[in-house]
Amino acid sequence: MTWLILRRLAQLPLILLVIYTVTLTLAWSIPGNPLENPEGRRPSPEVAEQMLRQYDLDSFPRFYVSYLDRVTGLRALRERMSGDAASRERAAAEAGIEIPSPPLFDFGPSLQYDDWTVNEIIAGSLPVSITLGGVAIVIATLIGVTAGVVGAIRPNSIADLATLLIALVGISLPSFVIGTVLLLVFAVWLPLFPVADWGTARSLVLPALTLSLPFAAYIARLTRFGMIEAMQSDYVRTARAKGAGETRVLLKHALPNAFLPVLSYLGPATAFAMTGSFVVEKVFNIPGMGQHFVAAVQNKDLFLIMGVVLVFAGMLVIFNLIVDVLYRFVDPRIA
Amino acid sequence: MIRVLAVIALLVGLLIVFGAGTSSPRADLVVYNGNDVSTLDPQRLSWIPDMRIARLVYEPLVQHDVLDWDARIVPAAAESWRVSEDGRTYTFAIRDDARWSNGEPVTSEQFRYAWRRGMLPDLASDYAAMFRFIEGADAFYEWRVDQLGMMERGESAYADGRALWDATLAKFDELVALRAPDARTLVVTLREPVPFFLDLCAFAVFCPVYPPLVDQYERVDAASGRLVRRPGWTRPPAIVSNGPFEVTDWQFKRTLRLDQNPHYWNRGALHVRSIEVPSIGDPSAAILAFRTGSIDLCAEVFAPYRGEIVQDKLEFLAEHADRVAELRAQGLDPFAIDARLPDDPRKDAHVVPAFGTYFWNFNCSDRLTDGRPNPFADSRVRRAFALVIDKKSISEQVRRMGEPTTGVLIPPGSIGGYTGPRGLPNIGDAGTEAERDAIVSRARTLLADAGYPEPERDFPITVELVFNKDSGHDLIAQVIAKNWQQHLGVPVALAQKELKVYREELKNHAFITSRAGWFGDFADPTTFLDIMRTGNGNNDRNFSSDAYDALLDRARTEADTGERMALLAEAERVLVEEELPMVPIFHYVSMYMFDPDRITGMSAQARTKQNLFLIDVLGDGVGAEQPRPMKRRDPARSERAG
Repeated sequence: MTWLILRRLAQLPLILLVIYTVTLTLAWSIPGNPLENPEGRRPSPEVAEQMLRQYDLDSFPRFYVSYLDRVTGLRALRERMSGDAASRERAAAEAGIEIPSPPLFDFGPSLQYDDWTVNEIIAGSLPVSITLGGVAIVIATLIGVTAGVVGAIRPNSIADLATLLIALVGISLPSFVIGTVLLLVFAVWLPLFPVADWGTARSLVLPALTLSLPFAAYIARLTRFGMIEAMQSDYVRTARAKGAGETRVLLKHALPNAFLPVLSYLGPATAFAMTGSFVVEKVFNIPGMGQHFVAAVQNKDLFLIMGVVLVFAGMLVIFNLIVDVLYRFVDPRIA
Repeated sequence: MIRVLAVIALLVGLLIVFGAGTSSPRADLVVYNGNDVSTLDPQRLSWIPDMRIARLVYEPLVQHDVLDWDARIVPAAAESWRVSEDGRTYTFAIRDDARWSNGEPVTSEQFRYAWRRGMLPDLASDYAAMFRFIEGADAFYEWRVDQLGMMERGESAYADGRALWDATLAKFDELVALRAPDARTLVVTLREPVPFFLDLCAFAVFCPVYPPLVDQYERVDAASGRLVRRPGWTRPPAIVSNGPFEVTDWQFKRTLRLDQNPHYWNRGALHVRSIEVPSIGDPSAAILAFRTGSIDLCAEVFAPYRGEIVQDKLEFLAEHADRVAELRAQGLDPFAIDARLPDDPRKDAHVVPAFGTYFWNFNCSDRLTDGRPNPFADSRVRRAFALVIDKKSISEQVRRMGEPTTGVLIPPGSIGGYTGPRGLPNIGDAGTEAERDAIVSRARTLLADAGYPEPERDFPITVELVFNKDSGHDLIAQVIAKNWQQHLGVPVALAQKELKVYREELKNHAFITSRAGWFGDFADPTTFLDIMRTGNGNNDRNFSSDAYDALLDRARTEADTGERMALLAEAERVLVEEELPMVPIFHYVSMYMFDPDRITGMSAQARTKQNLFLIDVLGDGVGAEQPRPMKRRDPARSERAG
């Protein structure tokens, strides 16, 4: 177990390096100058050149190396050891100004949002996405497992067909449709929830529900098929023969086995729910991470693109690891 | 199983507790500002929404009285100024009660510091060129560029970047005619008389910054010698500013909150205590938020159905046409007129002229990027293509924003003392079928003169119309393409691009015709005319005319204001009646949403810079609670801009 965790953690930097290289190559090939306001005055050629050089944006290898240096924390460590940072802090203190020390893993400045670093942008939006995605996954699991179990008790009954139908709708309807309908009904017609707001538990309900539906639908199908299979298995027959009650058979014997495929799905699903909520963020005006994936590419904001991609990739690896660990608790057969 | 779920639920519960803060009480004024603010560093400003907020946070030496129809210059951080006989030297006296938000006095040396930042190539200010009217600024800028280049190549005479930086500061003192003889006096000498220099001083890029703060966030890189910026000082708690308001909370993509600067010298003139600028990504959601009352003022309206909103307003005004005419005759501004009309939700939409023009570019290079000869190098061809664009259809049927069609580049009446040319007619102006045919045959004659008597067959290229995919430019391109195809018979092709790609192609002159627009920065015709000058960085058209450049040069040295304006008007005439490097189509309007019975202090001046600190929310019990209309104007002038 410890060995598995260690091995996976050792793989993490390697995976991230590959992702870093591929993403940077792709992002670099986006046309246009990321430092230019597309609706503003055009800077003179020498200024434009200066700007690019300042961020090492004039040469791919130079940028590749300098950004790697920055993001791995090597640069910050060097600065700390050389005493540069300390002397700067002293100067700031003399001027009576508080200046936060630079972070270890520095994702760099945002090229589009001049006054923010990528670290600050991610620090502001990641908790939002984690909250939204986490709540959505919990809702999805509760709805999905319940619906799947209900369906599996009496396959092909009305209840089963109804859950399958809802699951089909949940998978096929895009979230901007569901979101807009929910918003219209529960925020505009029946003003139970706010239209565009973030920060209160009430404002979380509609977006989390919208985000959870496709996941819930998939989980319902996984649970249903797993349950139907489990209900016909030998150990369920044994349990019944021993005289166990129906609820006990369902929850104690059948469900843990039927839940295994759901569990392996939950790892990537959680990562997706936490970072892939772009549409839901747009509909409900939520300041999360998803928007950066789209906006940063449109703006060719290289630092932000790299920041969000690396964070997302890291999360994906870690969630998969968590799932693997949980697997052992649920199914001790996996050694 | 249940245990696992319980653990997850617990984690999420914790996250909710962390994620859900309590919102601060609603500000006195809530403004939707369009796009999110990208920077509040005065010398790095570039976007219009940024400047709108920067004008709240920083105070320049002088500012525009935006409630005056000519937006004349009034004192701000400087209480007075003197101009020398030759019009080259300006001496500003900074008021002694001008204070930073930390209580420190505003000094002339701080203005010097900020303007030096603006001139440095390191900072790469979009508006660096504006500082180059100051004597020595050009030389200083070029010296620094050269030195940085030498440092990079290892040829520098200086030991390291820091030594170069010290030399740069000395060079600035030596070369640039910007002096601070005492803490309250700023003396600036220009390389030539610049009649609009005070207008520049009112520009947000000329605002001061607080040096002890900025110094901490900018350091000189020892190896390259370049100034390296670190973001953060423009946000609370660090930010120190000298404007009427200070930033007290700024959360990325969430909200920006401003409260009165407790040390501002003119707090008596402020009528709201706090302003909030929420971040709303979806333009339609902004309208919804306005309709439900959570926003008081939309400073931008981008919703796709805004044309319909404007049409509703025009209908409302038409229903009250007699009363509107009567009020207009009294010299009232459009918002004051609205406030006197009966209550109606339709009157919350406002459209006022803006200082910008939408036009269609022709590439004027001799050859296209693929080496073929370019028929648009011939001004007769450009004129012919300009004549047959139906501008009225574009404005009335496509845009539906009430934008006036035009034949000129500079919005008429926007610059005091300047009367521009009339421009060429277009088929949209024609009242009758016969007039229309006359214009079309005039265009075909021009094409025949240029060597294309039968353009259906002998026009050598397919005319490509390049535009970026946003904001309905595709619909405008379709109208223009159809006009050219129908009336001139030339083959056309639409080419929709991503914004960044579009921008690159324009810069590299890698297009045949393209959509474009320009907003002026200051009250002088050159803010528009300079972009057509040979070699100008914004001359996407690659247009070059010796006669035109000569007119601009003569205007530059002309001391007499009237003569100068006449020369510039002649230059614009050459541009829009003879050369046509682009076809002006309509002048932009600014659109706002606010209740005219509640919000007062908004400007309808054509160079529309809203100074949001002038606003009073009526009925909230804060401030003077008096309507603040624009000064009454001569009714004869109100016809045009109304």
